[in-house]
Amino acid sequence: MPPYVPSDQPPGRGKGSSIFEMDTMGRDDLRYAGKKLTDPISAAEDKWRLVPAFLQTKGLIKQHVDSFNYFIETEMKQILLANAKVDSDVDPAFWLKFRDIRVKQPQAYDARKGVAYELTPHECRLRDVTYAGTILVDIEYVRGKQLVKKRGIEVGRMPIMLRSSRCCLTGKSPADMVKAGECPLDPGGYFIIRGTEKVILIQEQLSKNRIIVETDRLGLINASVTSSTHEKKSKTNICYGKAGRVTMKHNSFTADVPVVVVMKAMGIESDREIAELICGNDEKFLELFSPSLEESSMLDPPVYTQRQALDWLGRKVKVTAMRSRIGMRKDYVEEARDLLATTVLAHVPVDDINGQWNYRPKSVYVALMVRRTLQAVKDGGIVDDRDFVGNKRLELAGQLLSLLFEDLFKSWQANIKRAIDTQLKRSNRTSQYDAATAVAQTSRFITDGLFRSISSGNWNVKRFKMERAGVTQVLSRLSYVSALGMMTRISSQFEKTRKVSGPRALQTSQFGVICPSDTPEGEACGLIKNLALMTHITTDSDDSSMRRLAFILGVEDINVLTGLDLYEEGTYLVFLNGVILGVHRKPEKFVNDFRALRRAGRVGPFVSVYRTSTQRTVNISSDGGRVCRPLIIVNKGKSMVTDQDVKDAIHGIKTFEDLIQEGKIEYLDVNEETDTDIAMYDADLNYNGKVPFGAIADPSALDRPNSTHLEIAPFTVLGAVAGLIPYPHHNQSPRNTYQCAMGKQAIGAIAYNQLTRIDTLLYLMVYPQQPMVRTRTIELIGYDKLPAGQNATVAVMSYSGYDIEDALVLNKASVDRGFGRCQVMRKFSTMIKSYPNQTYDRLADRAEDAYGQVLEKYDILDDDGIVAVGERIKTGQVVINKQSPTETSPRVAPMAGADDAGGQFMGATDPATISYKASPTTFKYDGDAVIDQVLLTTNEEDQTLVKALIRQTRRPELGDKFSSRHGQKGVCGIIVQQEDMPFADTGVVPDIIMNPHGFPSRMTVGKMIELLAGKAGVLAGQLQYGTAFGGSKVEDMSNILISNGFSYSGKDYVTSGITGEPLQAYIFFGPVYYQKLKHMVLDKMHARSRGPRAVLTRQPTEGRSRDGGLRVGEMERDCLIGHGTAALLMERLLYASDAYDCEMCGECGLVGAWHGFCNYCKSRKGVVKVKIPYACKLLFQELMSMNVVPRVKVKDLE
Amino acid sequence: MNIDHHSGLSFTEAGGPQIAIKEVTPTTVTFVLSNTDLSVANALRRVMIAEVPTIAIDLVDFELNTTVLADEFIAHRLGLIPIISHQAVHLNYRHECTCSPYCEECSVLFSLDVSCQSENAMSVYSTHLVSSSPAVQPYVDPANEKGVLIAKLRKGQQLHVKAIARKGTGKEHAKWAPCTGVAFEYDPHNKLRHTTYWHEEDARKEWPLSAKAVEEPAPRDDEPFDYKAKPERFYFTVESTGALPPTTIVTQALDVLMRKLAEVHRVLGGIAEAQGEPVVQPTYNL
Repeated sequence: MPPYVPSDQPPGRGKGSSIFEMDTMGRDDLRYAGKKLTDPISAAEDKWRLVPAFLQTKGLIKQHVDSFNYFIETEMKQILLANAKVDSDVDPAFWLKFRDIRVKQPQAYDARKGVAYELTPHECRLRDVTYAGTILVDIEYVRGKQLVKKRGIEVGRMPIMLRSSRCCLTGKSPADMVKAGECPLDPGGYFIIRGTEKVILIQEQLSKNRIIVETDRLGLINASVTSSTHEKKSKTNICYGKAGRVTMKHNSFTADVPVVVVMKAMGIESDREIAELICGNDEKFLELFSPSLEESSMLDPPVYTQRQALDWLGRKVKVTAMRSRIGMRKDYVEEARDLLATTVLAHVPVDDINGQWNYRPKSVYVALMVRRTLQAVKDGGIVDDRDFVGNKRLELAGQLLSLLFEDLFKSWQANIKRAIDTQLKRSNRTSQYDAATAVAQTSRFITDGLFRSISSGNWNVKRFKMERAGVTQVLSRLSYVSALGMMTRISSQFEKTRKVSGPRALQTSQFGVICPSDTPEGEACGLIKNLALMTHITTDSDDSSMRRLAFILGVEDINVLTGLDLYEEGTYLVFLNGVILGVHRKPEKFVNDFRALRRAGRVGPFVSVYRTSTQRTVNISSDGGRVCRPLIIVNKGKSMVTDQDVKDAIHGIKTFEDLIQEGKIEYLDVNEETDTDIAMYDADLNYNGKVPFGAIADPSALDRPNSTHLEIAPFTVLGAVAGLIPYPHHNQSPRNTYQCAMGKQAIGAIAYNQLTRIDTLLYLMVYPQQPMVRTRTIELIGYDKLPAGQNATVAVMSYSGYDIEDALVLNKASVDRGFGRCQVMRKFSTMIKSYPNQTYDRLADRAEDAYGQVLEKYDILDDDGIVAVGERIKTGQVVINKQSPTETSPRVAPMAGADDAGGQFMGATDPATISYKASPTTFKYDGDAVIDQVLLTTNEEDQTLVKALIRQTRRPELGDKFSSRHGQKGVCGIIVQQEDMPFADTGVVPDIIMNPHGFPSRMTVGKMIELLAGKAGVLAGQLQYGTAFGGSKVEDMSNILISNGFSYSGKDYVTSGITGEPLQAYIFFGPVYYQKLKHMVLDKMHARSRGPRAVLTRQPTEGRSRDGGLRVGEMERDCLIGHGTAALLMERLLYASDAYDCEMCGECGLVGAWHGFCNYCKSRKGVVKVKIPYACKLLFQELMSMNVVPRVKVKDLE
Repeated sequence: MNIDHHSGLSFTEAGGPQIAIKEVTPTTVTFVLSNTDLSVANALRRVMIAEVPTIAIDLVDFELNTTVLADEFIAHRLGLIPIISHQAVHLNYRHECTCSPYCEECSVLFSLDVSCQSENAMSVYSTHLVSSSPAVQPYVDPANEKGVLIAKLRKGQQLHVKAIARKGTGKEHAKWAPCTGVAFEYDPHNKLRHTTYWHEEDARKEWPLSAKAVEEPAPRDDEPFDYKAKPERFYFTVESTGALPPTTIVTQALDVLMRKLAEVHRVLGGIAEAQGEPVVQPTYNL
């Protein structure tokens, strides 16, 4: 490494503006935050500066990218190799092999120039195109008698994740990014399918291939494993049933089978050996297990030998529909043998050794499952916690796509095989059959499958019986944080209707990896979670080297051990990704050795190894989906990260990876964390009762275990969204949760390319400001560059009575000057389609009235039939004046005889003769708006696409919703003239007056401190920090206030603007960051006197969009009844709704007389007119249609 | 001449309300108003904020706007630019004028025609505005000769607008307010006990004294509370946006106040006349 020479120009200057850049130097403004180049650096104080270094390469959305890259670069190839060969049932000489697969960068084709060019994500968004790269394969196949090799055959298109290795944005500098129309701060990690941005949410699942002991619905203790390999997925249960019988449950057996039979079938014939494998030499276990042991001999027929066991099991195998159709049933023994090898506990390999299947590992595994069950029974029902994060795996885009791709690829291969077979079957081929055509011609299959799943969110993989809906969601672009928040969202697979609180509750093991605050309220509470700032999710990695390493480090192979060896005192079982490797007699040394090797970089950094003393196991995991986080390693009570390391990280000399390579920082997953003692701060480090700085801390430290690790920064327990809250540790916790939900609704800047985006609905703030009181997280995620809110001067006092129930008083002058001003952009788009009968949609001219005057509705149309940019548009005016042909399909010949080819197409009718009907797009929103931009382009199918963006600038009005960053929302209750507002002695007038009643019950002390820090910041001319568990101290803030001649309490002497007298009380007065939320009165206000009615019931329509009525509901009705206001009730429910003059016959009592004549009685005698609800009349008629006769007795009113 | 013995300030006239000016800078004026009622002092403050007429851009015609900013955005920014408003007295309010949509009697025309030819971004300042009347110009702060930033243009972008400035008051829109802030205070020692100091232990220790405290003698500890006392001296600091010199704001505010009173006088006089009572002629002239 070259020695570091400080220069005036910090390294990386100008390159970095975002942590989402691939630029390793990152944002120097962050790395130096609050420090000069020459300032001394202490590791204890500045270790948080490793967080930006971490975020440059890992964390937040990088998991999505990592997982997608792994899929594209590794998993796809594995899938291809596993399904490389296609044979033919017809021609035994034929074969086709796939050699290699790769995905190209997305490209588009310029038809005019005739060249392909790099497709950028922004072009995709604008043109409603999919951001996808072609999948190319190399194939080898037999043509006639030749062997043909072909390279680069397209088999489909793969949607490309933004910022992944196949994305054109990767490696671009921010300036180039801007040239490509992309925002450098945009996180990426999502897909663009037909112009819409789609996110594949992180899915939470129970971990695969691990034994979990739990109690089932009947209260029985159960050990279960969900096995998952590329070939098979199955679930195996071991159940401690009634009368102490231990049985195995598996989907492929028709009934529960005794475990002893399974063991015998796997070749452990002797009862003694079974008992030893399960119980070791523990009497208690044996006692519990003995009833089961006797079971096999009591069966009918009794089972003693392996063959008997296999035969017995074979009869219990479920006959699948397919196999029964084929009618091929192997003999029972073979079938059972097969099933035990491949399906039951599929993840435990059964190797073929010299033609013999080695069931030993699997039988030990079954034995262990039984032992774990018995252990739980023995301990009185202590079972595993399925909500423990270590028992969870997070599935990311890459894994989900891999499942989908594998399934599609296999089905596609079957299709090809069928196509080839039918071709080869043809005896009289004119030319030699080329299989490459079958490959190339069916490329739509994979493309469509992938596009369909991502755009609909339905993940259907038939082979694994997987049917999941809502896997993908449209990326919310309401604000920058809402998009970012979506990328870190974890959705759980648990049913929402279940009434168990466990999965929803905050788990202690979520510390540091899942944000404790960021979860929605209500239905999905606790089921939808968000990642913390420093969480990393692992990807799969190869474990064969680890297996070798484990044996080198002294693991004894399971195949050479007896049951007694397994459970000997002091021996630990060693697992690798859920499979038993063997035992180790010195587990502590083994684990330490393994960790030492990992720290030395000999084992992957994300491999975890931990010991459980209760189960006496050592687990090594390298599988994907584990959540982990980096921690500083502590050696003998000393942090391994030195001042120099932090300095180097700040200067960009060392990356985070370098520190990991050097063994100073390591990733721990949640399981391994249980094995450690993590200190929060340097001062908490404990080594044999000593703190690092010499003194003996407290006597109790002697009893504590030694510290093994040190946190990098405490504020990283929160996620990206909760990180926006200043002083969250001073707030009541639900308030932080509320803010997490509201921060996503705040209007602000969305992205640097916000003005070139044409989204369905876009809210932008006119003058967004970065908060006065910021946090480290705000800087890290770039919220200071794309903020959503303004620093409002707030006076906490009561004013005018229009501020009750959290309503806010706004200063009119502030509003005039641009406070809370926002722009609302709406997209109106339409396709100009061409139809099969040679007709096209067309854009029409303005319609004129009889005098040649343009109708007002079409007034702002340009000559091309689309609104002109810059025009002001009113409600009801036409945006795009499209007309469509009345006929779109080719005409069919009238009848045979008219044409020789009777019934065939008559050819194109003259398109000129086809009439057009108007199908305009109209602007149907309230308030005037202006046309912002118009886009004319073509989509992938070369259909013309017209998009018009309509902009509305809104100033805050009564009823608009605002909120601070502490879950304190309120609507604007009154807007007051500046001269009427209270003012401080300096003449400062507040922008917002907030009612103090908002504080006592909410207990948002953080907001008060924010005000204090904000005020101090304004006076001192610097930004203050409100970082969680840190931030500017209240005492310092008060000192700044005092030195500037203010009260330390933040309260000011305030004069009433109305009387000129000072207010009796002193007013808490200062800047607080306020967000304007998207809920605005203009979009919601609604009133109706008369209006449209529903066709069927003739009642007023429902909802604002249909100009509906305001419903007098059941409760309102109850009130009216209670008040005895009969006439009002009649008026609301009948006259103002669906009153109908119905003619009824008094004689027969039926409805349906017409013009005074009852058709049933054939008489006019008893017919009367009655006013009833139309819905009532409808009911009578419906009853009559069902042969129920409703008869009405009519009588004059008394 | 009346000399205040405590502060040494000279007051203009004995008897009626008095003003003593302490400091005048190009943007601020600090004065003490005395011998008057709190309501009058506050009225003066309120009028200065809301009712002193100035000129501000009110209507913007966009001929060409290829900047990244939306039309309304730029129009709003133009509106907030302070314009030197000496001429405001000579202009009609919009509602006073019969013209449509505007005429020379009620408006001043500004035009802005800029385009960026250079590779670097070009900044458009309020000094780029060209006025139709030499006397009505955007205010330029001596410390910032370029004036207020309106927009930034990239190469090839153009902005061509016609802006009509009108007379108006801060009541209607804050852009017409001539002052940014009016500091107003009386009784710095809280002798009148109009307020209660919030404190934890000792209010005197915890509260910083007002800067105006030197103007008045501090109360002695044994001084009895005079519940009949009325506020007498009002400390003002008026900060101007630049549209009007701060002293002019004060004088015009007084003028506005006076006219309002004159109007009341006139109407009452009319009623008195109608009822045959003697009419008292005003002793001032406007």
